[in-house]
Amino acid sequence: MAQNINPHYASSSNPAKQNEDTIKLKDNHAVSKRLQKELMELMRCADKGISAFPESDNLFKWIGTINGPEDTVYAGHKYKLSLEFPNSYPYAPPVVKFLTPCFHPNVDTCGLICLDILKDKWTALYDVRTVLLSIQSLLAEPNTQSPLNQQASFLWSNQPAYKKYLDEFYSKHKDL
Amino acid sequence: MSLISDEHKVYWNKINYAFPILNDTIVSDCTDLEYIEVQQIITGLGIQNKIRDLIVTHIEKYVRQQVAPQFWAKFSKVEEEIKGFQLFKSAVNDLYDAVNKFSGMLRRLIILNNSCSDNKTIFGERDVISGFILIIRATLLSQLPVDFNIIIFHFYKLSFNVFDNEYESPDMSEDVMCSGCWNDYSECICSYVVKVFYETNRKLMEMQLLERLTGQVLTNFIQVRVESHIQRVCTGTFDVSHIAHLENWLETTVMTWLTRIYCGGSSKPPPDNKNIQNAIYKFKQKLHYFLYHTYTKLRIDQLFNIIIEYPDSQPAIDDLKQCIDKTDLRPTLCRVLQSALETRLLHPGVNTPDILTAYVATIRSIRHLDPSGVILDTVTKPVRSYLRNREDTVRSVVSSLTEEGSGSELAEELAKFAAEVDDDGEKEEAWDEWVPDPVDADPKVNASNRKTSDIISMLVNVYGSKELFVNEYRTLLADRLLAQGVINTEKEIRHLELLKLRFGESQLHNCEVMLKDISDSKRINALIHQDQTFQELNNKFTANAMIMSAQFWPPFKDESLELPEEIKQHFDAYTKSYEALKGNRTLNWKPHLGNVNIEIEIGEKKLELTVSPFNATVIMHFQSKPEWSLDELHQVMKVPITVLRRKITYWQSQGIISEKGTDLYVLVEGSDAKSNVSTNQVQEMICEDDESESVMASAHDQREGELQVFWSYIVGMLTNLDCLPLDRIHQMLKMFAALAPGTECSVQELRQFLDTKVRTHQLVFQGGMYKLPKT
Repeated sequence: MAQNINPHYASSSNPAKQNEDTIKLKDNHAVSKRLQKELMELMRCADKGISAFPESDNLFKWIGTINGPEDTVYAGHKYKLSLEFPNSYPYAPPVVKFLTPCFHPNVDTCGLICLDILKDKWTALYDVRTVLLSIQSLLAEPNTQSPLNQQASFLWSNQPAYKKYLDEFYSKHKDL
Repeated sequence: MSLISDEHKVYWNKINYAFPILNDTIVSDCTDLEYIEVQQIITGLGIQNKIRDLIVTHIEKYVRQQVAPQFWAKFSKVEEEIKGFQLFKSAVNDLYDAVNKFSGMLRRLIILNNSCSDNKTIFGERDVISGFILIIRATLLSQLPVDFNIIIFHFYKLSFNVFDNEYESPDMSEDVMCSGCWNDYSECICSYVVKVFYETNRKLMEMQLLERLTGQVLTNFIQVRVESHIQRVCTGTFDVSHIAHLENWLETTVMTWLTRIYCGGSSKPPPDNKNIQNAIYKFKQKLHYFLYHTYTKLRIDQLFNIIIEYPDSQPAIDDLKQCIDKTDLRPTLCRVLQSALETRLLHPGVNTPDILTAYVATIRSIRHLDPSGVILDTVTKPVRSYLRNREDTVRSVVSSLTEEGSGSELAEELAKFAAEVDDDGEKEEAWDEWVPDPVDADPKVNASNRKTSDIISMLVNVYGSKELFVNEYRTLLADRLLAQGVINTEKEIRHLELLKLRFGESQLHNCEVMLKDISDSKRINALIHQDQTFQELNNKFTANAMIMSAQFWPPFKDESLELPEEIKQHFDAYTKSYEALKGNRTLNWKPHLGNVNIEIEIGEKKLELTVSPFNATVIMHFQSKPEWSLDELHQVMKVPITVLRRKITYWQSQGIISEKGTDLYVLVEGSDAKSNVSTNQVQEMICEDDESESVMASAHDQREGELQVFWSYIVGMLTNLDCLPLDRIHQMLKMFAALAPGTECSVQELRQFLDTKVRTHQLVFQGGMYKLPKT
């Protein structure tokens, strides 16, 4: 738990939230440096099926792309995600959302994702690459115990039906 | 009453008699004695002021109506010089006579004027004579006809010819024509011309008309003469200084003539007449300036040729240097030279080495002309930007830097630099010789930078970075080292040392390693050949390896080539032996590089050749089987068919292999006469094995490799952001990917790079946006 909190932030965060501005100023450079490094790493490794890049001049807002994992119902689909990094990154997790509508037990209709490492299990050791890989594997192995999308969760057990529904879902959402 | 009027009539007649001008005539017999009476009458009546004014008015009228029109009537448009000469002479003579006729009357007018007490001036002149001359002059000039210049010009031209001839060409006497007046010698009118000339000038001077009437013509005329003289004397020769000679000519010929015009024939101005001295002095100043101006202009027009001939043309540059300070032609010089360079150098028809030679000559000569370097900076700007666009610039510079022999100026320059490195101390002491920068200098540039940068750094600055040059040198060095069978390392080391002085140790570290590799290779070869086990394995032939440290050599062009099994085994053995010798290291063979000495025996034919490994491989395959199709060769050698077809022509030209059918080759057995014929034909068609090609990846290819770094970024961006215009990609790269120095790239470069990607279908360009193709 301790490692989730910026030590600097933790010690001074008690009085009030107003401190965030100063922290932002102080850490901004370090954060962009880290993000820059992550970007370089990502470009260098060029993993199959995942990719991400800053959306515009702002290094704190990225667009990610995940290919549906092979040999699953999601194979052949492509998902766009938005990643927003807080100023306290990497001590706080990025906010990750699906931009492409995703029919999945752990993704709600707004694209919000229920994934432990993006919430309480986050540590500073994770980075963009691992986050994207985790989401990719989440597509393959949903956690049906705590679903955000009940229908998907219910349908999951019947893979052919799921696949059929999914394809219909996407042909319906193609225009979006 | 009538008595008084009669009396007045008598008086009026007498006054008229003394001043006939009142009746619009001039001539009168009135003597001085008679005039005294008239004068008494006038003063007695107290009308001296009135009479005087009346006379002046009448003189003015007379001159306006009679003298001036008569004078100008002679100024007709004539073609022949001699006619013009005569006309001008007679016009001046008539005018002079007419003016002289006034003299009696003027004398009387002076007396009359003296008796006036009102101190009134005649048109601002107190003196009657000068007032009169003023009237003449003003009236004449007020009636100036349009083309009065023509005969005046004739007049002076003729006289100058005569005069110039007197001074210049005593050796032309064999000619039947007098070069002064262009008549036969028997009818030479030179002396007459001279006499008339002096006479006329004297008269004009006396009437104070010389300057006014002829000044303009005279100036024009002399300028034309000066111009043609300079043209005649100075065209085409740059190795002699002309300025002193020209000054001398101006002083002796032109100025003496002028002085004579002004002084009515004598060659020295009268010492007491300040006016004439002043006029002559002014004229001299004007003419000197004009001389410099004309000469400078001429030289500026020839400047390109002068530069090309530098340093033989140094006197011309010296002249120019002297003149440019005296005239205001600096901007013209810049402009003219710049456009001359552009039209004569900067087009695709000129070889890069030629451009470089001209560039170096320009640097040298213009630096001599203008040590501050400002002109040079301005003038060579287009050359630099043009050179930057030429692909082989760097290569040319580097090869001429390292060229042997006297032909290469740059090599000398490099050696000179080495000698000059350590004499910087003096600069501080010359503070009292400091001169400010010229006005057209760019204030942003440090003056000392401009001055001290020498030729080589000017060349290097074309690109703005040493790295490119060093890289290119490395490539050339690698080429040379690989191409030469026996390597003259000593020479290369000497060059390297010189370059090190210039570019610094660190830049050239790689090259040092390369040279060391060469000597190391020799040693290792010797050691491996001593190895007994290796010897036993490979007694068929020997192989010497050139062992290059991969990190330090420039990247090679990659060509695939599968060697014959035998050779491969040999190489493997060599590798093992090497590994034994040097722990933790191994060899990575580049089978397409190097040379093979082979001996071919076909029937009675015996050939000894040094060929590329490629050709050796081909012929080895034919050893085992006399007939191969291109496809089969492609199978065993793993070389693209097109390359194979091209390379096999070498053996065709040697008459060893012939093409039996389409893409089917056979070994030619023995001395087949028929094949020999075709051999010759082939030989005509194909030049020798194109071994001159560089085996190194060119700077361009290297650059491509550097850009490849960006490719993953571009892919990343386009996967996530779908499609982007060129600017955005460039901007993003600058922001997120520009990490290492030297990997910056311009928008144009990026566009080229992206376009190659589009061509290879790795990108799609649509509506101004780049995007990834759909998979």
